[in-house]
Amino acid sequence: MMNKMTDKAKEVARELLEKQEVDLVIGWERGTFEDKTAPLFMKKPEDVERLVINEYIVNSLATYMLHYKTHGGKIAIFVKGCDSRGIVRLIQDKQFTREKVYLIGVPCSGMKEVNENDEMVDSPKCDGCTHPNPVIYDVIIGEEVQPKNPENRFKVLEDDLNKVVEERWSSWASEYNKCIRCYACQRICPACNCRECIFVDQSQEWIERRVDETENGTYSLIRAYHIAGRCVECGECERSCPVGLPIMKLNKRIAKDIEDLFGPYEAGVDIEQNSPLGDFKYDDPEEFM
Amino acid sequence: MSVEHKIPEREKQQGEWTPKIVGFCCNWCSYAGADLAGTSRFQYPSNLRIIRVPCSGRVNPHMVIRAFQKGADGVLVAGCHPGDCHYATGNYYARRRMLVFKRLLEYVGIEPERFQARWISGSEGQKFAENAIKLSEEIKALGPNRKLRDVR
Repeated sequence: MMNKMTDKAKEVARELLEKQEVDLVIGWERGTFEDKTAPLFMKKPEDVERLVINEYIVNSLATYMLHYKTHGGKIAIFVKGCDSRGIVRLIQDKQFTREKVYLIGVPCSGMKEVNENDEMVDSPKCDGCTHPNPVIYDVIIGEEVQPKNPENRFKVLEDDLNKVVEERWSSWASEYNKCIRCYACQRICPACNCRECIFVDQSQEWIERRVDETENGTYSLIRAYHIAGRCVECGECERSCPVGLPIMKLNKRIAKDIEDLFGPYEAGVDIEQNSPLGDFKYDDPEEFM
Repeated sequence: MSVEHKIPEREKQQGEWTPKIVGFCCNWCSYAGADLAGTSRFQYPSNLRIIRVPCSGRVNPHMVIRAFQKGADGVLVAGCHPGDCHYATGNYYARRRMLVFKRLLEYVGIEPERFQARWISGSEGQKFAENAIKLSEEIKALGPNRKLRDVR
Protein backbone atom coordinates (compact mmCIF):
# COMPACT_ATOMS: atom_id res chain seq x y z
CA MET A 1 0.00 0.00 0.00
CA MET A 2 2.86 2.35 0.89
CA ASN A 3 4.56 1.56 -2.45
CA LYS A 4 1.36 2.51 -4.20
CA MET A 5 1.28 5.78 -2.29
CA THR A 6 4.92 6.50 -3.16
CA ASP A 7 4.18 5.93 -6.86
CA LYS A 8 1.16 8.20 -6.73
CA ALA A 9 3.13 10.83 -4.82
CA LYS A 10 5.93 10.75 -7.39
CA GLU A 11 3.40 11.08 -10.18
CA VAL A 12 1.76 14.12 -8.58
CA ALA A 13 5.08 15.80 -7.74
CA ARG A 14 6.55 15.17 -11.20
CA GLU A 15 3.51 16.58 -12.91
CA LEU A 16 3.57 19.74 -10.78
CA LEU A 17 7.25 20.34 -11.54
CA GLU A 18 7.00 19.50 -15.25
CA LYS A 19 4.05 21.82 -15.78
CA GLN A 20 5.89 24.42 -13.66
CA GLU A 21 2.83 24.97 -11.53
CA VAL A 22 5.08 25.17 -8.49
CA ASP A 23 8.73 26.15 -7.97
CA LEU A 24 9.41 23.62 -5.29
CA VAL A 25 7.92 20.45 -3.86
CA ILE A 26 8.79 19.57 -0.27
CA GLY A 27 8.58 15.90 0.66
CA TRP A 28 10.60 13.15 2.32
CA GLU A 29 13.53 10.96 1.27
CA ARG A 30 15.14 7.97 2.94
CA GLY A 31 17.35 9.06 5.84
CA THR A 32 20.64 7.75 7.20
CA PHE A 33 18.87 4.74 8.70
CA GLU A 34 16.02 2.71 7.32
CA ASP A 35 13.62 3.92 10.00
CA LYS A 36 14.43 7.59 9.46
CA THR A 37 13.45 10.01 6.75
CA ALA A 38 14.90 13.39 5.87
CA PRO A 39 13.15 16.34 4.24
CA LEU A 40 13.55 16.45 0.46
CA PHE A 41 13.39 19.66 -1.56
CA MET A 42 12.50 18.90 -5.18
CA LYS A 43 13.20 21.61 -7.73
CA LYS A 44 13.63 19.55 -10.91
CA PRO A 45 11.47 16.65 -12.15
CA GLU A 46 14.40 14.21 -11.79
CA ASP A 47 14.65 14.96 -8.03
CA VAL A 48 11.29 13.22 -7.63
CA GLU A 49 12.94 9.76 -7.89
CA ARG A 50 14.23 10.10 -4.32
CA LEU A 51 10.79 10.79 -2.85
CA VAL A 52 9.40 8.19 -0.44
CA ILE A 53 6.10 7.79 1.40
CA ASN A 54 6.36 5.15 4.12
CA GLU A 55 5.53 4.70 7.80
CA TYR A 56 8.58 6.69 8.92
CA ILE A 57 7.67 10.09 7.45
CA VAL A 58 7.17 11.37 10.97
CA ASN A 59 8.76 14.82 10.53
CA SER A 60 6.42 17.71 9.96
CA LEU A 61 7.32 19.84 6.95
CA ALA A 62 4.89 22.63 7.80
CA THR A 63 7.43 25.03 9.32
CA TYR A 64 9.55 24.96 6.13
CA MET A 65 6.86 27.20 4.69
CA LEU A 66 8.20 29.92 7.00
CA HIS A 67 11.55 29.71 5.19
CA TYR A 68 9.74 30.47 1.93
CA LYS A 69 7.47 33.17 3.35
CA THR A 70 8.94 35.85 1.08
CA HIS A 71 9.39 33.54 -1.92
CA GLY A 72 7.44 34.82 -4.92
CA GLY A 73 6.15 31.59 -6.45
CA LYS A 74 3.94 28.76 -5.35
CA ILE A 75 5.22 25.88 -3.25
CA ALA A 76 3.84 22.35 -2.99
CA ILE A 77 4.16 20.49 0.26
CA PHE A 78 3.26 16.99 1.44
CA VAL A 79 1.07 17.01 4.54
CA LYS A 80 -0.18 14.35 6.92
CA GLY A 81 -3.15 15.10 9.20
CA CYS A 82 -1.14 16.88 11.89
CA ASP A 83 1.03 18.74 9.35
CA SER A 84 -2.05 20.08 7.58
CA ARG A 85 -3.28 21.49 10.89
CA GLY A 86 0.11 23.17 11.19
CA ILE A 87 -0.40 24.73 7.77
CA VAL A 88 -3.87 25.95 8.81
CA ARG A 89 -2.25 27.42 11.91
CA LEU A 90 0.33 29.30 9.79
CA ILE A 91 -2.34 30.61 7.41
CA GLN A 92 -4.46 31.74 10.38
CA ASP A 93 -1.41 33.59 11.72
CA LYS A 94 -1.17 35.34 8.33
CA GLN A 95 2.29 33.98 7.60
CA PHE A 96 1.27 33.28 3.99
CA THR A 97 -1.92 32.93 2.02
CA ARG A 98 -3.73 29.74 1.10
CA GLU A 99 -3.04 30.43 -2.60
CA LYS A 100 0.70 30.36 -2.03
CA VAL A 101 0.76 26.71 -1.08
CA TYR A 102 -0.29 23.57 -2.95
CA LEU A 103 -1.10 20.86 -0.44
CA ILE A 104 -0.65 17.20 -1.27
CA GLY A 105 -2.51 15.27 1.42
CA VAL A 106 -1.21 11.99 2.79
CA PRO A 107 -3.74 10.03 4.88
CA CYS A 108 -1.78 8.67 7.82
CA SER A 109 -2.58 5.52 9.74
CA GLY A 110 0.04 6.23 12.41
CA MET A 111 3.79 6.45 12.17
CA LYS A 112 6.20 3.72 13.22
CA GLU A 113 9.60 3.84 14.87
CA VAL A 114 12.23 1.34 15.92
CA ASN A 115 12.68 1.19 19.69
CA GLU A 116 15.81 0.30 21.69
CA ASN A 117 15.08 -3.46 21.32
CA ASP A 118 15.02 -3.20 17.51
CA GLU A 119 11.28 -3.74 17.43
CA MET A 120 8.99 -1.75 15.19
CA VAL A 121 6.45 0.06 17.38
CA ASP A 122 3.83 2.78 16.93
CA SER A 123 5.27 6.24 17.29
CA PRO A 124 4.22 7.59 20.71
CA LYS A 125 3.28 10.96 19.22
CA CYS A 126 0.53 9.34 17.14
CA ASP A 127 -1.30 7.93 20.18
CA GLY A 128 -4.62 9.72 20.56
CA CYS A 129 -4.49 11.36 17.12
CA THR A 130 -7.88 12.86 16.25
CA HIS A 131 -7.20 13.92 12.64
CA PRO A 132 -5.24 11.27 10.69
CA ASN A 133 -6.51 12.73 7.40
CA PRO A 134 -5.39 16.14 6.19
CA VAL A 135 -7.94 18.83 7.12
CA ILE A 136 -7.14 20.84 3.98
CA TYR A 137 -5.56 19.67 0.75
CA ASP A 138 -5.58 20.29 -2.99
CA VAL A 139 -5.04 16.66 -3.90
CA ILE A 140 -5.02 13.56 -1.73
CA ILE A 141 -3.03 10.39 -2.37
CA GLY A 142 -4.59 7.22 -0.98
CA GLU A 143 -7.75 6.36 0.88
CA GLU A 144 -8.94 8.28 3.93
CA VAL A 145 -8.49 6.41 7.21
CA GLN A 146 -10.38 6.32 10.51
CA PRO A 147 -8.79 7.75 13.67
CA LYS A 148 -7.44 4.83 15.72
CA ASN A 149 -7.93 5.88 19.34
CA PRO A 150 -8.99 9.54 19.62
CA GLU A 151 -10.13 8.91 23.21
CA ASN A 152 -6.43 8.75 24.20
CA ARG A 153 -5.93 12.42 23.34
CA PHE A 154 -5.32 13.44 26.96
CA LYS A 155 -3.95 10.11 28.19
CA VAL A 156 -0.50 11.56 29.05
CA LEU A 157 -2.08 13.70 31.74
CA GLU A 158 -3.51 10.78 33.68
CA ASP A 159 -0.45 9.90 35.75
CA ASP A 160 -0.29 13.41 37.21
CA LEU A 161 -3.89 13.45 38.41
CA ASN A 162 -3.25 11.96 41.84
CA LYS A 163 -0.01 13.77 42.60
CA VAL A 164 0.02 16.45 45.28
CA VAL A 165 1.46 19.91 44.63
CA GLU A 166 4.97 19.14 45.91
CA GLU A 167 5.26 15.93 43.89
CA ARG A 168 4.18 17.71 40.74
CA TRP A 169 6.75 20.44 41.31
CA SER A 170 9.63 18.04 41.99
CA SER A 171 8.89 15.86 38.96
CA TRP A 172 8.39 18.84 36.67
CA ALA A 173 11.44 20.76 37.90
CA SER A 174 13.74 17.74 37.65
CA GLU A 175 12.61 17.10 34.07
CA TYR A 176 13.13 20.66 32.94
CA ASN A 177 16.55 20.95 34.54
CA LYS A 178 17.71 18.72 31.70
CA CYS A 179 16.83 21.33 29.08
CA ILE A 180 19.87 22.54 27.10
CA ARG A 181 17.96 25.42 25.47
CA CYS A 182 18.61 24.28 21.90
CA TYR A 183 15.21 25.74 20.92
CA ALA A 184 14.46 22.75 18.70
CA CYS A 185 10.93 22.65 20.14
CA GLN A 186 10.45 26.25 19.12
CA ARG A 187 11.99 25.97 15.62
CA ILE A 188 9.87 22.95 14.66
CA CYS A 189 6.59 24.30 16.03
CA PRO A 190 4.04 25.56 13.47
CA ALA A 191 2.44 27.70 16.20
CA CYS A 192 5.79 29.29 17.24
CA ASN A 193 6.09 31.57 14.25
CA CYS A 194 7.12 34.96 15.69
CA ARG A 195 9.60 36.74 13.43
CA GLU A 196 11.94 36.95 16.39
CA CYS A 197 11.35 34.87 19.48
CA ILE A 198 11.43 36.84 22.74
CA PHE A 199 13.87 34.30 24.12
CA VAL A 200 16.30 35.06 21.30
CA ASP A 201 15.68 38.79 20.83
CA GLN A 202 18.56 40.61 22.54
CA SER A 203 16.59 43.84 22.92
CA GLN A 204 14.22 42.27 25.49
CA GLU A 205 16.36 43.07 28.50
CA TRP A 206 13.91 41.91 31.13
CA ILE A 207 13.98 38.39 29.70
CA GLU A 208 17.11 36.48 30.58
CA ARG A 209 18.67 33.74 28.52
CA ARG A 210 20.75 31.83 31.05
CA VAL A 211 20.58 28.06 31.16
CA ASP A 212 19.71 27.25 34.73
CA GLU A 213 16.91 26.00 36.95
CA THR A 214 14.82 29.15 37.07
CA GLU A 215 15.27 30.21 33.46
CA ASN A 216 14.59 26.74 32.09
CA GLY A 217 11.39 26.61 34.11
CA THR A 218 10.37 30.01 32.82
CA TYR A 219 11.23 29.11 29.24
CA SER A 220 9.19 25.92 29.30
CA LEU A 221 6.16 27.59 30.89
CA ILE A 222 6.20 30.60 28.62
CA ARG A 223 6.86 28.54 25.50
CA ALA A 224 3.84 26.41 26.35
CA TYR A 225 1.77 29.47 27.18
CA HIS A 226 2.69 31.36 24.01
CA ILE A 227 1.15 28.57 21.96
CA ALA A 228 -1.83 28.13 24.28
CA GLY A 229 -4.96 27.67 22.21
CA ARG A 230 -2.87 27.48 19.03
CA CYS A 231 -0.98 24.21 19.61
CA VAL A 232 -2.09 21.70 16.96
CA GLU A 233 -0.90 18.78 19.13
CA CYS A 234 1.36 17.34 16.43
CA GLY A 235 3.92 16.31 19.06
CA GLU A 236 6.87 17.48 16.97
CA CYS A 237 8.38 19.45 19.89
CA GLU A 238 8.63 16.34 22.02
CA ARG A 239 9.92 14.20 19.16
CA SER A 240 12.66 16.68 18.25
CA CYS A 241 13.77 17.25 21.86
CA PRO A 242 17.33 15.89 22.20
CA VAL A 243 17.00 15.33 25.96
CA GLY A 244 13.52 13.78 25.85
CA LEU A 245 11.50 16.27 27.86
CA PRO A 246 7.75 15.56 28.19
CA ILE A 247 6.89 18.82 26.44
CA MET A 248 3.50 17.65 25.18
CA LYS A 249 2.31 17.24 28.77
CA LEU A 250 2.24 21.02 29.23
CA ASN A 251 0.67 21.58 25.81
CA LYS A 252 -2.00 18.94 26.38
CA ARG A 253 -2.71 20.27 29.86
CA ILE A 254 -3.41 23.72 28.41
CA ALA A 255 -5.51 22.24 25.59
CA LYS A 256 -7.53 20.30 28.14
CA ASP A 257 -8.03 23.33 30.39
CA ILE A 258 -9.21 25.35 27.41
CA GLU A 259 -11.70 22.61 26.50
CA ASP A 260 -12.94 22.40 30.09
CA LEU A 261 -13.30 26.16 30.45
CA PHE A 262 -14.44 27.40 27.05
CA GLY A 263 -15.92 24.36 25.32
CA PRO A 264 -14.66 21.86 22.74
CA TYR A 265 -11.86 23.23 20.60
CA GLU A 266 -9.10 21.85 18.45
CA ALA A 267 -6.54 24.22 16.99
CA GLY A 268 -5.80 24.24 13.27
CA VAL A 269 -8.92 22.39 12.19
CA ASP A 270 -11.28 25.16 11.12
CA ILE A 271 -9.55 27.99 9.28
CA GLU A 272 -12.34 30.44 10.21
CA GLN A 273 -12.31 29.73 13.95
CA ASN A 274 -10.63 32.17 16.35
CA SER A 275 -8.08 31.02 18.88
CA PRO A 276 -9.79 30.80 22.31
CA LEU A 277 -7.30 33.15 23.97
CA GLY A 278 -7.69 35.70 21.19
CA ASP A 279 -11.39 35.77 21.80
CA PHE A 280 -13.82 35.99 24.72
CA LYS A 281 -17.44 35.58 25.69
CA TYR A 282 -19.32 37.78 28.14
CA ASP A 283 -20.41 34.71 30.08
CA ASP A 284 -17.01 33.06 30.46
CA PRO A 285 -16.45 31.17 33.75
CA GLU A 286 -16.02 33.64 36.60
CA GLU A 287 -13.59 32.65 39.35
CA PHE A 288 -12.01 35.93 40.36
CA MET A 289 -15.00 37.98 41.57
CA MET B 1 24.32 26.85 46.05
CA SER B 2 20.69 25.98 46.33
CA VAL B 3 17.80 28.25 47.17
CA GLU B 4 17.33 26.43 50.46
CA HIS B 5 20.71 27.60 51.71
CA LYS B 6 20.50 31.16 50.63
CA ILE B 7 17.05 32.40 51.50
CA PRO B 8 16.78 31.52 55.23
CA GLU B 9 20.06 33.33 55.93
CA ARG B 10 18.72 36.53 54.46
CA GLU B 11 15.52 36.11 56.40
CA LYS B 12 17.35 35.66 59.70
CA GLN B 13 18.95 39.02 59.25
CA GLN B 14 15.61 40.65 58.62
CA GLY B 15 13.89 39.27 61.71
CA GLU B 16 10.37 37.91 61.39
CA TRP B 17 9.49 36.81 57.86
CA THR B 18 6.78 38.66 56.02
CA PRO B 19 5.75 37.73 52.51
CA LYS B 20 6.51 39.87 49.50
CA ILE B 21 3.46 40.25 47.30
CA VAL B 22 3.43 41.93 43.93
CA GLY B 23 0.14 43.43 42.88
CA PHE B 24 -0.46 44.33 39.25
CA CYS B 25 -3.24 46.90 39.51
CA CYS B 26 -5.08 48.35 36.58
CA ASN B 27 -4.81 52.13 36.40
CA TRP B 28 -8.52 52.80 36.05
CA CYS B 29 -10.10 50.63 38.73
CA SER B 30 -7.87 48.70 41.10
CA TYR B 31 -5.19 51.37 41.41
CA ALA B 32 -7.91 53.90 42.19
CA GLY B 33 -9.33 51.33 44.62
CA ALA B 34 -5.96 51.12 46.35
CA ASP B 35 -5.84 54.89 46.42
CA LEU B 36 -9.26 55.04 48.02
CA ALA B 37 -8.21 52.43 50.59
CA GLY B 38 -5.35 54.79 51.46
CA THR B 39 -7.34 58.00 51.66
CA SER B 40 -10.09 56.26 53.63
CA ARG B 41 -7.43 55.02 56.08
CA PHE B 42 -8.30 51.33 55.73
CA GLN B 43 -5.45 49.33 57.23
CA TYR B 44 -3.83 46.72 55.02
CA PRO B 45 -0.42 45.02 55.15
CA SER B 46 2.46 46.96 53.64
CA ASN B 47 3.90 43.83 52.01
CA LEU B 48 1.69 44.27 48.95
CA ARG B 49 3.82 46.15 46.43
CA ILE B 50 1.71 47.69 43.74
CA ILE B 51 2.75 47.96 40.10
CA ARG B 52 0.47 50.16 38.06
CA VAL B 53 -0.48 48.77 34.65
CA PRO B 54 -2.78 50.39 32.09
CA CYS B 55 -5.19 47.44 32.08
CA SER B 56 -5.38 43.93 33.50
CA GLY B 57 -5.10 42.86 29.86
CA ARG B 58 -1.58 44.34 29.89
CA VAL B 59 -0.40 41.74 32.38
CA ASN B 60 1.76 39.34 30.47
CA PRO B 61 1.98 35.94 32.22
CA HIS B 62 5.72 36.29 31.75
CA MET B 63 5.63 39.27 34.17
CA VAL B 64 3.98 37.05 36.78
CA ILE B 65 6.73 34.47 36.45
CA ARG B 66 9.33 37.24 36.49
CA ALA B 67 7.92 38.43 39.82
CA PHE B 68 8.27 34.92 41.25
CA GLN B 69 11.83 34.71 39.91
CA LYS B 70 12.81 37.99 41.50
CA GLY B 71 11.55 37.13 44.93
CA ALA B 72 7.79 37.53 45.12
CA ASP B 73 5.99 35.04 47.36
CA GLY B 74 2.64 35.84 45.82
CA VAL B 75 1.23 37.72 42.86
CA LEU B 76 -2.09 39.51 42.64
CA VAL B 77 -3.56 40.67 39.35
CA ALA B 78 -6.36 43.16 39.89
CA GLY B 79 -8.52 44.79 37.26
CA CYS B 80 -11.90 46.33 36.59
CA HIS B 81 -15.02 44.23 36.95
CA PRO B 82 -16.13 42.59 33.67
CA GLY B 83 -18.11 45.19 31.79
CA ASP B 84 -16.29 48.13 33.41
CA CYS B 85 -13.05 48.04 31.42
CA HIS B 86 -11.79 51.46 30.37
CA TYR B 87 -10.76 49.89 27.06
CA ALA B 88 -14.10 48.07 26.75
CA THR B 89 -12.83 44.49 26.46
CA GLY B 90 -9.32 44.26 27.99
CA ASN B 91 -10.39 42.46 31.13
CA TYR B 92 -12.40 39.87 29.23
CA TYR B 93 -9.21 38.81 27.46
CA ALA B 94 -7.34 38.96 30.76
CA ARG B 95 -9.97 36.75 32.38
CA ARG B 96 -9.47 33.95 29.86
CA ARG B 97 -5.70 34.35 29.97
CA MET B 98 -5.48 34.24 33.75
CA LEU B 99 -7.93 31.32 34.07
CA VAL B 100 -5.72 29.18 31.84
CA PHE B 101 -2.45 30.46 33.31
CA LYS B 102 -3.56 29.79 36.88
CA ARG B 103 -4.29 26.18 35.98
CA LEU B 104 -0.93 25.81 34.25
CA LEU B 105 0.91 27.06 37.35
CA GLU B 106 -1.11 24.66 39.49
CA TYR B 107 -0.26 21.81 37.15
CA VAL B 108 3.50 22.32 37.48
CA GLY B 109 3.14 22.47 41.26
CA ILE B 110 2.90 26.09 42.33
CA GLU B 111 0.38 26.50 45.15
CA PRO B 112 -2.84 28.03 43.75
CA GLU B 113 -2.92 30.68 46.53
CA ARG B 114 0.30 32.23 45.27
CA PHE B 115 -1.22 33.54 42.10
CA GLN B 116 -4.60 35.22 42.37
CA ALA B 117 -6.70 37.54 40.30
CA ARG B 118 -9.42 39.85 41.58
CA TRP B 119 -11.84 42.37 40.17
CA ILE B 120 -11.69 45.54 42.28
CA SER B 121 -13.35 48.75 41.15
CA GLY B 122 -12.31 52.32 41.95
CA SER B 123 -14.99 52.64 44.61
CA GLU B 124 -14.06 49.42 46.42
CA GLY B 125 -11.34 50.66 48.77
CA GLN B 126 -12.67 48.41 51.51
CA LYS B 127 -12.59 45.36 49.24
CA PHE B 128 -9.03 46.16 48.22
CA ALA B 129 -7.88 46.30 51.83
CA GLU B 130 -9.75 43.11 52.72
CA ASN B 131 -8.23 41.26 49.78
CA ALA B 132 -4.75 42.48 50.65
CA ILE B 133 -5.14 41.24 54.24
CA LYS B 134 -6.52 37.86 53.14
CA LEU B 135 -3.83 37.35 50.51
CA SER B 136 -1.09 38.28 52.94
CA GLU B 137 -2.39 35.83 55.54
CA GLU B 138 -2.73 33.00 53.03
CA ILE B 139 0.78 33.44 51.75
CA LYS B 140 2.23 33.84 55.21
CA ALA B 141 0.73 30.45 56.06
CA LEU B 142 2.39 28.92 52.99
CA GLY B 143 5.82 30.33 53.83
CA PRO B 144 8.43 31.72 51.45
CA ASN B 145 8.26 30.73 47.81
CA ARG B 146 11.26 28.73 46.60
CA LYS B 147 9.81 27.67 43.28
CA LEU B 148 11.02 29.38 40.12
CA ARG B 149 13.21 31.60 42.33
CA ASP B 150 16.33 33.09 40.79
CA VAL B 151 19.12 31.86 43.09
CA ARG B 152 21.97 34.13 42.04
